[in-house]
Amino acid sequence: MTNPYQQQHGPSNFIGGDSLASAGLPPLNARRPSYASVVSGSISALTRPTRSSFSHLLNPSPDSEQHAHAGNPYSTAQNTRFDPDMPFARTRASGEENAARYHLSQGLDSGLWPAQHGARFPYFSRAFDLYMGKSPLLPPGSAGPEEGRFFSSASMPNVSSTGFLAPSYLRGTVYLQKLEEKHRARVLAERDGNVSNGTQTGPSTSVSSSRLVSNGSSSHLPAIGTKVSGSTHRGVAYEIVEKPMYPAEEDDAASPLPSRWNKDDKEAALEVLGDGYEVRHTGRASNELEASAVRADHHMSPSCGVYYFEITVLNKKKDNMKTPPIAIGFASKEASISRAPGWEPESWGYHGDDGNSFASQNVGKPYAEQFGAGDTVGCLVNFRLNHALFTKNGRELPIAFRDINFKEVKGKLYPIVSLKKKEDHIMANFGQRPFMFDIDGYMKRQQAMIEEEIRRADTSRLVPGLSETDLIQQLVLQFLQHDGYVETARAFAEELQAEQTALRLDPNQPVRGINIKDDQDAHNRQRIRRAILEGDIDRAMKDTDTYYPTVLRDNEQVYFHLRCRKFIEMVRREAELNIQLEERRSMAAKSHQQRQADDNDHEMVEAEPAQLETDTAPRDQDYHMDMTMAEDAADASGVSKLSQDALAYGMELRAEFNTDPRRETAKQLDEIFSLIAYPNPLKVKEVAHMLDGTGRVAVAEELNSAILMSLGKSSRAALENVYAQTCVLLDTLRKDGGDGAFVTVQSVVDRIPPSRLR
Amino acid sequence: MSIRSAALELGGHDIDSTLRDAVFAQLRESFGRMNSSTSAATSTQHAFDKRAADVKAPKSDINALILDYLTMEGYPKAAAKFCKEANLQPQQPDDSIQTRHAIQHAIHSGNIESAISALNELDPEILDKDPELHFSLLQQQMIELIRQCDGGDVTPAVNFAVEKLGPRAATNSDFLLELEKTMSLLIFPHDNLQPDLAALLSSDLRRDTATKVNEAVLQRQNERREAAIRQLVRMRAWGETSARSKKKDLPDSIELGLSADSMEHGEGQDEPMITT
Repeated sequence: MTNPYQQQHGPSNFIGGDSLASAGLPPLNARRPSYASVVSGSISALTRPTRSSFSHLLNPSPDSEQHAHAGNPYSTAQNTRFDPDMPFARTRASGEENAARYHLSQGLDSGLWPAQHGARFPYFSRAFDLYMGKSPLLPPGSAGPEEGRFFSSASMPNVSSTGFLAPSYLRGTVYLQKLEEKHRARVLAERDGNVSNGTQTGPSTSVSSSRLVSNGSSSHLPAIGTKVSGSTHRGVAYEIVEKPMYPAEEDDAASPLPSRWNKDDKEAALEVLGDGYEVRHTGRASNELEASAVRADHHMSPSCGVYYFEITVLNKKKDNMKTPPIAIGFASKEASISRAPGWEPESWGYHGDDGNSFASQNVGKPYAEQFGAGDTVGCLVNFRLNHALFTKNGRELPIAFRDINFKEVKGKLYPIVSLKKKEDHIMANFGQRPFMFDIDGYMKRQQAMIEEEIRRADTSRLVPGLSETDLIQQLVLQFLQHDGYVETARAFAEELQAEQTALRLDPNQPVRGINIKDDQDAHNRQRIRRAILEGDIDRAMKDTDTYYPTVLRDNEQVYFHLRCRKFIEMVRREAELNIQLEERRSMAAKSHQQRQADDNDHEMVEAEPAQLETDTAPRDQDYHMDMTMAEDAADASGVSKLSQDALAYGMELRAEFNTDPRRETAKQLDEIFSLIAYPNPLKVKEVAHMLDGTGRVAVAEELNSAILMSLGKSSRAALENVYAQTCVLLDTLRKDGGDGAFVTVQSVVDRIPPSRLR
Repeated sequence: MSIRSAALELGGHDIDSTLRDAVFAQLRESFGRMNSSTSAATSTQHAFDKRAADVKAPKSDINALILDYLTMEGYPKAAAKFCKEANLQPQQPDDSIQTRHAIQHAIHSGNIESAISALNELDPEILDKDPELHFSLLQQQMIELIRQCDGGDVTPAVNFAVEKLGPRAATNSDFLLELEKTMSLLIFPHDNLQPDLAALLSSDLRRDTATKVNEAVLQRQNERREAAIRQLVRMRAWGETSARSKKKDLPDSIELGLSADSMEHGEGQDEPMITT
């Protein structure tokens, strides 16, 4: 058993998480300040990018431990997180506060998504929070079966708690990202609807009136009437929905994936069972030329590049017909549902009884082996290469239909299956669980093909006369100058010049000089940026007023953001100080406890040699503890002063922008004021991102752009144009399932190992 | 922007429309170059440019691309300064960038021998595991020796070829071809060479060799051979070629905006300063 106090200090100190979890007891953590932080613990496990789905099992962290206590984090929004075992039941806070916290956490909870998958660029490196909430609704990474345990249904590991279907092979594609944004917007809209209808339980207004004062935290602030509006609970991090990454365009680019069989689009003899994955023939007779077909609820969007689904034949093996007349394929709504796929115009199919393939005509071609009871058969449509093929029991069969002219097809194409005999019975996998066929590998091969094409691309025509290396050097140098990285630009120019000097073959040949514009202006901008990056908003605003007096006046939005950031910095300073204070206290408490343990139980000390170091001089410890307490008192009053300042400044801010009619202004004010509602916002993962350095970068760059604009310069460097143009070009190529469906600019950036802000 | 306001003003004075158009045209001409890059306001803007203008290029992504480039391609001073100015943590330890930079610099300067020994010191297995890379370096060294003879005594170059390159060329037909090409530099006068032979003597080959070595070292260290910005630039080139071949609606030319900025510099308040 490990020292429970250690849990507070991050994963590195944590040793025996599972032992706590399996005991089924509330953690012995008297210092856990509030329920909110418990919730945040489980949230962090969801929002932190995980590389391996197993890592949380192998390396239990405090988060995963809290996970176990918080219950099923993937549970639906309606499924409340209330758990009588939760430590908050034991807090001494008043009932009303509990209710408020409960409400708060519930609001936050329902906005949660499972972690980002794969090696996405971590959220902390995003400058503009546009992308901050991008964490997809997918289960972490290579979702293994283990992930299933967090879901309401273990059989559907690729479906999020709010019902978002994310087949593994489409992850990382822009198509799925668009679907996700739409889905999230809908979920949020539904929840907002609930709030306004008052259907949510709990006193929804209590947050606004009382600040949540934690027992454990030292920040006992006077509950000044800071108005924290009801929007707090909405989970600030998910603003993304209102600013989708790609501008909305024609609907098809984000039309939903087929997810189940359509009860309203089937032949009468069929019955769609349960969740909509299973279909059974009820035995009403149909003649030789007919069959009973059912289409899926949505069509296959070419924007996904490749679409794949599987069916498993559930007929009993003992049936005398081993290969029943079951057919799988795809068809538009033009095709009759009383015919097997492939027999009709605009329909294509693979028939199990004879193994033939049919392409919109009555006569089939011998294609592959038959299939029947117990077999799993997949249908793969490749919109990029305009062909389709099937798989059997995980094995790829040859291409069945080549050169399909998808543009000529009048209707949209739906997954379709047809049955013919009584008790014919199939179950479909639309991606809700892992496929038998390695579609992920297939998709990767498609991507690799395109990446190879890109690798060989000729860059010489981008700027005539410049080789790729020269062009990139120019792009980098121009960006550095444009954005006011004065010293970097100079260092880079020097290094380039040294390279030129080394490369020349004739020592007498003059080396082309590199001009670095060394203007005051770049220096000023760099100075202002520095100030913001260091969190000194006052200095930045003062400098801006000195050098560019019109900028803040003309750019109200920038001014507002700077002012908000100042408030955030104040809260941040307080929170940081609080953490230091807590650490020192818990250190003291730990050594105290340790000393007792030392006296009673030598084994335990031996088991934790690291602790021994802190306990080598018991006499000093007493002294140290006294010191700590004295320091504590001083610091605590400092903290309280800081938070009072923050509150005062917040009210000033509120007063100044009260008349601003824009919704965003009020919303942002609400958001930043919500920080006050937490005992220590740095420990609450949903809001901690507001305090981190990325916010500084965003404000700094916004101001830099405004200054550049005021000077009549382009607000964007050429490299940024390259980035944006590439995004749009890929998007153009994405239509109709083109090459662009398989690659993203993001995937390029994601290959860079994450570099944190300092 | 200025055109627009000028036009509004003129409109206010109710000037004859032809005259106004003439003035407009002149204004447009005088602002022509600036206009092409900063014309968010003009209505003639192609839909593509509008869409591109709407796409946010997150600064954090751009900064990551820059730091990645400076690190991977071995510009240690710039990388260190950039970390400082942009508040980023270094992607690799400084000495690792330094080492790669030193090796590249040696190759750029034609000092292949010291590059090889530095490389062996850094990673004793790297050349043994990659015969092609080793051959490229030796070939480069041979070329440098030939350069040094410059019509004089060719013995050192010939000896080098026999000792180092010959045995390798015997095992690989590609190597043999390259060796023959290189040897022919000893025979033909250098001032009138065929393009493929002249390429051997160009400094571009030094650069290519240095890049190959750098990529090999990077791959041994962290699996990534090249900076992400190269992939981005290629993706941009490929995207345009591909979209044009599919007859997508694109403007006649898609400007990167590199030149617009240099013009800005010409106009700038301060005279450009030469730093080095």
